[in-house]
Amino acid sequence: MNDVITAIRTVPLEHYVVLSFILFSIGMAGVLFRRNTIIILMCLELMFNSVNLLLTAFSAHHSDPSGQVFVFFIMLVAAAEVTVGLAILVMMKRNVDSVDINQLNRLKW
Amino acid sequence: MSALILTSVLGVILLYLGLFGGKKLLAPVGILGLLGAIALFVMDKQYINIPQFANMLSFDAMGISFSIGLLVITILIFIFGIDYYANEEKNVAEQFALMIFSVTGALMMVSYTNLLSLFLGIEILSIPLYILAGGKRNSMRSGEASFKYFLLGSFSSAFLLMGIALIYGVAASFELPKVMAMAATSGTNILFLLGCFFVIVGMTFKVAAVPFHFWSPDVYEGAPTLVTTFMATVVKMAAFAALFRFVTMIGMPAAVGKALLLIAIVTLLVGNITALRQSHFKRLMAYSSIAHSGFLLMAILSNSANTPSVLFYYTFTYALATVGLFIVFTVAKRAANGDEHIRIFRGLFRSQPWIGVMLLVMMLSLAGIPPFAGFFAKVNVFMLALGAGQIGLTVFAVVMALVGIYYYAVVVREAFTASENEPALVVAPTNWLVISLCGIAVLVLGVMPGWLL
Repeated sequence: MNDVITAIRTVPLEHYVVLSFILFSIGMAGVLFRRNTIIILMCLELMFNSVNLLLTAFSAHHSDPSGQVFVFFIMLVAAAEVTVGLAILVMMKRNVDSVDINQLNRLKW
Repeated sequence: MSALILTSVLGVILLYLGLFGGKKLLAPVGILGLLGAIALFVMDKQYINIPQFANMLSFDAMGISFSIGLLVITILIFIFGIDYYANEEKNVAEQFALMIFSVTGALMMVSYTNLLSLFLGIEILSIPLYILAGGKRNSMRSGEASFKYFLLGSFSSAFLLMGIALIYGVAASFELPKVMAMAATSGTNILFLLGCFFVIVGMTFKVAAVPFHFWSPDVYEGAPTLVTTFMATVVKMAAFAALFRFVTMIGMPAAVGKALLLIAIVTLLVGNITALRQSHFKRLMAYSSIAHSGFLLMAILSNSANTPSVLFYYTFTYALATVGLFIVFTVAKRAANGDEHIRIFRGLFRSQPWIGVMLLVMMLSLAGIPPFAGFFAKVNVFMLALGAGQIGLTVFAVVMALVGIYYYAVVVREAFTASENEPALVVAPTNWLVISLCGIAVLVLGVMPGWLL
């Protein structure tokens, strides 16, 4: 376990921050611009995982385990959220027979 | 805290009741359990201000008053549910149970002392709501509302998480006292400020403040009315309590204060102006709720010792009026064969005078006309803002409150106009009870604001 933490610490903290910001932005751009709902769900996962990476890096650098515990909670919640999301997607697919986000335009002013 | 355990177990009990065909018992058992939870909050004095569950939650005075308020509103919605689900055969137990689980998350949000419990509370509140919003499985609109809510909800939780991670990076802890101590010493750290911004973006999604409000009219319109009522009241109360706790914790750095001020101004403007041209009742209520978010953000901005009680008084009286109005709406909608335009209220006063008067009382309360509770709620917020030296913002908010009177008055005018064909309104006794309770409570709390403040 200590080997892993020292290995994480050999990379400066800023690199982790920058990398997770890049991953977060890729995920955000995907959610905003992709039209396929399955890909949007994957991009949401990417956003959550960039946060996981950041928390792990901070946790190793602070020598504080609570950050890593938080990561488990995020994984759990992300799994629950995707389960619900896929169920809603299946329901929608049955109703409109498509997974294209542009189908979602019935409700508007 | 035993009340939190009670509500979690209560949801499971309701699921079992549904499994063994006790559909008639669902709402009474749920209401009894919620009453028990309120009793536990009132009785268990030894837990006040003492951190529970490994320093995750601490029920201070604000947490307890908000918890009791949330449970009272949920009970009212459950009584509404008796009639709302009367003709539904399948999956009623699941809907009640999901609402109970959602309230459990709300209780966590009003009393967290750790950023982990904030995140878990928000998710426990939201995930059941994604399912509830899609409650009508064969309705295209319900599915669309559900998916939009899910997508934007998880998008905002990702922002919230990013913010929490950045705050953790600076403070090296998730516990509020430690974060508070760190904010006092190195509050201008750029990562910390960025983290605060991300968290505030995540939370303003939940309270539906402009510019993060687009989901709310669509979701309010598409979701089943009972769920819309739940979202407009319980979620709003819990999210504002959580936002207030967060803002007091970070001690409001100047940059965050400016951002919140900007959000409050834009929310007041867009909420009130867009509501003017709405003719669909649920969308009108959605924009009205956005406008009320603006006033509540003003209260949070002032950040004084009185803010918790003012916030509670405002959100609670707003929730009471909203629950009552949505029930009146459901009754009128049934008589109009599912139409949701505000013209369905036409002739309401002629056919059901008492319900008409109650609609008038609740609408005027939302509009902020004395002597109803909404007026004192707004006055309190303005006093707080003036106390914090926000004179320009207060003048602007007063103007916007005056603009807001118009769209509430339109609905009242419809209700008091006679129509050529009288709508055949059928008000179930339980609905009549809740409408009367809400209307009278709004009036009584307006005359006696001291009971809550």
